Amino acid sequence: MNTRMKNLNKADKAEITAKEKETTTPLVKEPHEVPGDEPVTYPLQFPQHDSRLQTPAVGQRATRPDGRLHGLGQTQYIDDITFPHMIHAKILRSEHAYAKIISVDTSEAEAMPGVFATLTGKEIPTNTFGPTLQDQPVLADTIVRHRGDGVAAVAAVSEQVASDALAKIKVKYEVLEPVFDPLESYGDKAPRIHGGDTNVYASKIIKKGDVEKAFTEADHVFEQQFTTQMVEHVPLEPHASIASWDGNGRVSIWSSLGRITLGRQDIARTLDLPQSKIRLIGTIVGGNFGGKNEITNEPILALLSRKTGRPVKAVYTRGDEFVSSTIRHPFVMDYKTGVMNDGTLTARKIRLLLDGGAYCSWTGTTIGKGSILAPGPYNIPNIHVEAYAVYTNKTVTGAMRGFGAPQVCFAYESQMDTIAEKLGMDPLEIRLKNAFSDGSASPTSQRLQSVALKESLNQASERFGWQEPKA
Amino acid sequence: MLVELTVNGELKSADCPPETTLLKFLREHLMLTGAKLGCDVGDCGTCTVIVDGKSVNSCLMLAARAAGRDITTIEGLANAQQVHPIQEAFEELGSLQCGFCGPGMIMSAKNLLDKNPTASRPEIKDALSGNLCRCTGYTKIIEAIEDAGRVMSSTKPLHSNL
Amino acid sequence: MRPFEYIAPSSAQEAIALLAENGENARLLAGGTDLIVDLKHNPGNTSLLVDVSSVPEFRGIEETSEGVRIGSMTTFGEIMASPLFQQKMPAVVDGAHTIGAVQTRNLGTMGGNFVTCVPSADSVPSVMVLDATVTVVGPDGSRQMPVEDFFVAPRKTALESGELLESIFIPKASLGKPSAFLKHGLRKGQALALVNGAAALWLDKDGKIVEPRLALGAVAPVPLRAVKAEAFLAGKEASDEVIDEAAEIAVSEARPIDDFRASAKYRRQIIKVFTQRVLKESVRIARES
Repeated sequence: MNTRMKNLNKADKAEITAKEKETTTPLVKEPHEVPGDEPVTYPLQFPQHDSRLQTPAVGQRATRPDGRLHGLGQTQYIDDITFPHMIHAKILRSEHAYAKIISVDTSEAEAMPGVFATLTGKEIPTNTFGPTLQDQPVLADTIVRHRGDGVAAVAAVSEQVASDALAKIKVKYEVLEPVFDPLESYGDKAPRIHGGDTNVYASKIIKKGDVEKAFTEADHVFEQQFTTQMVEHVPLEPHASIASWDGNGRVSIWSSLGRITLGRQDIARTLDLPQSKIRLIGTIVGGNFGGKNEITNEPILALLSRKTGRPVKAVYTRGDEFVSSTIRHPFVMDYKTGVMNDGTLTARKIRLLLDGGAYCSWTGTTIGKGSILAPGPYNIPNIHVEAYAVYTNKTVTGAMRGFGAPQVCFAYESQMDTIAEKLGMDPLEIRLKNAFSDGSASPTSQRLQSVALKESLNQASERFGWQEPKA
Repeated sequence: MLVELTVNGELKSADCPPETTLLKFLREHLMLTGAKLGCDVGDCGTCTVIVDGKSVNSCLMLAARAAGRDITTIEGLANAQQVHPIQEAFEELGSLQCGFCGPGMIMSAKNLLDKNPTASRPEIKDALSGNLCRCTGYTKIIEAIEDAGRVMSSTKPLHSNL
Repeated sequence: MRPFEYIAPSSAQEAIALLAENGENARLLAGGTDLIVDLKHNPGNTSLLVDVSSVPEFRGIEETSEGVRIGSMTTFGEIMASPLFQQKMPAVVDGAHTIGAVQTRNLGTMGGNFVTCVPSADSVPSVMVLDATVTVVGPDGSRQMPVEDFFVAPRKTALESGELLESIFIPKASLGKPSAFLKHGLRKGQALALVNGAAALWLDKDGKIVEPRLALGAVAPVPLRAVKAEAFLAGKEASDEVIDEAAEIAVSEARPIDDFRASAKYRRQIIKVFTQRVLKESVRIARES
């Protein structure tokens, strides 16, 4: 690798030398040496120029190292792995969106031929997990908070026998009144899904300038509400894992999990095991998109393996995938924007309400990123963003590409179009007028560098003929 | 029941329950794991194999029905010396990201190009309507199929030096 | 899937006997694109699958002096590849093309699509407008009926217990009849029809409409012949105004529902536009030929 990089670098240098001869002001005075096998000397010397120009990878074609095996069908995903004596697990999901669990009776399932073991939430050493808040049970034992909550699991000789055994498990529930609407959940009267005195479990406030004063001084004030829906990642490879507990009390877990280091901490916590006893093997993942960023059934399989002495595999059905894996947060977004007659944005007040579903998952990251990006890539002197995430009795919302950014983008760009239309301005022009440029400050006052927004807008509009008369 | 069929040119047989799908038969009885289970209802196309020259969702076909027929799976496209032009184009153009849709995509592409190597873009898109990619990599997949078609019809590929 | 037995009979008689012996626990397997999915999720008491997909009497596309006989187990892939269909019944090819995707069309059969009997069945309107009939066989022999009579209610056909759909027949008079099919779904690939529709008609030497046929799917409990619109069109000039009025009549004949895919109001709008389009396309083809 190093040799190749060095060779490329020599070629680059040759090209640059040629350019230097041609021009009086050389582009680059001292070409940046890509470190090869030479010893590093301290203090480190940093290049004065734009080192990106010198990166050998830029402008080069690259093929994926795993591309060949993907195309040959030889990449091993979890479901392609099998072990001698391996058995299969299935998880029984809740019948209700919100209910107390009175009892779980697995005796009939356990007695079925072909069934090796069952597992309930009460048998899990520490029955909570989560990447931010540990508010989610591995298998619900006292209360179910959405239809995707697992209440019991079965390990059997085949997936079909395991599924048949699920039908024999008797769960008694005391049904509770569920909350599905995030606005209702945010209000005073809604039942508290996780106890306490509020369903709000995460919030974020960003303030800059004085929005109220700016609204009074603005020529126009626009108020709109935008909502977005649930989105499931639908990775083509469903969640899958295999666990094998060995005679020395160590467990090996093969998983489609994308974040194995975090995952191992969570698994260790739920199993009350030191991390050194857990070997977590992340295989090639058949699509993640944020939906495989936390543990799901790994502790269940580990405990079933300990009970049975066999490797236990579980692959989610597409149905499991929809009801029990995480989804994108639906947002309810209230936007109030002050604008001058010439299209200059002066103030933006935003309230974001994140429908968090039954458990926290990656809401912390989503609310943070969503809030910071909510005003949009525009220079607005006065900003007020308030964001709240609330529990509802719905599918758990978590990480998904962009962590809240696509939702707010839909809102602010929709509103930009509304404003442009009202002011009789070109939608491109109003964006160019307000857009970030080099040195602009983000809503949280980060000085932005290498901002190519206006250039991108101009180039894009040229390419698709924005200025040409519309048919 | 005993199911005997030809897979990638070799006669294979295995005993399986009648309710076994061809996909399960290939993956669990013949250990050919190239075809994948993605949705199990015939929507995603990860299980695509070719039966008697026609592509099918192997999750919707019983192994019993495939008895006596000629099956081609992704494992049958390459040999030790040579990968198939479609596989080569997919690799060269970076058409596969997570890779899970790959075997099914390539089998659908083969089903098309075997009959129509000079397929147009609309024809390629139509041929792929039963294969989903969630990494949103369709553009490069379509380019690779066009490219492979040029190799298979001995006209010059545009995108790569295949 | 839950365990079941599997038998592939080699004749229609054998299939009929198997159904008679095993009663309701036996189910017929055609292409399997619906049944296998169903068995994975709602197996019920199915104990035997009778695979009729290779029964010779149910196979093949055959042109006789009276018309074209399509074995019920003909796959959509076979219909699309048939030169006879491409040349003389292109709207049927268009209908077949909108079903599922390549892989499902290589498995799925026209007979299976008929017997599943959903209002949105995409293979139905384009054969309905060609005055198709069906032949069913059972323990008491065979009988024929117009294709409209085959569909009784959602998922309920005119098949009596123990009967099977043997073939679909297109009369010779309909071959080459100017015809068009359209389908509107939420996406292009693998979508269920929100509305589908087909038209067929002749133009006489004065440009008047002769034997107009209009069929719509997913707009009523079963695929629908818009008979009032047809009666209105018969003998009229094939003008845009006449077609627009026929479309309004077709809308009034339809009984679309509100569901999660679309509202009835939206469906009515699509019915109007699609009726106009399939009629205009049929007229265009008629004028060119």
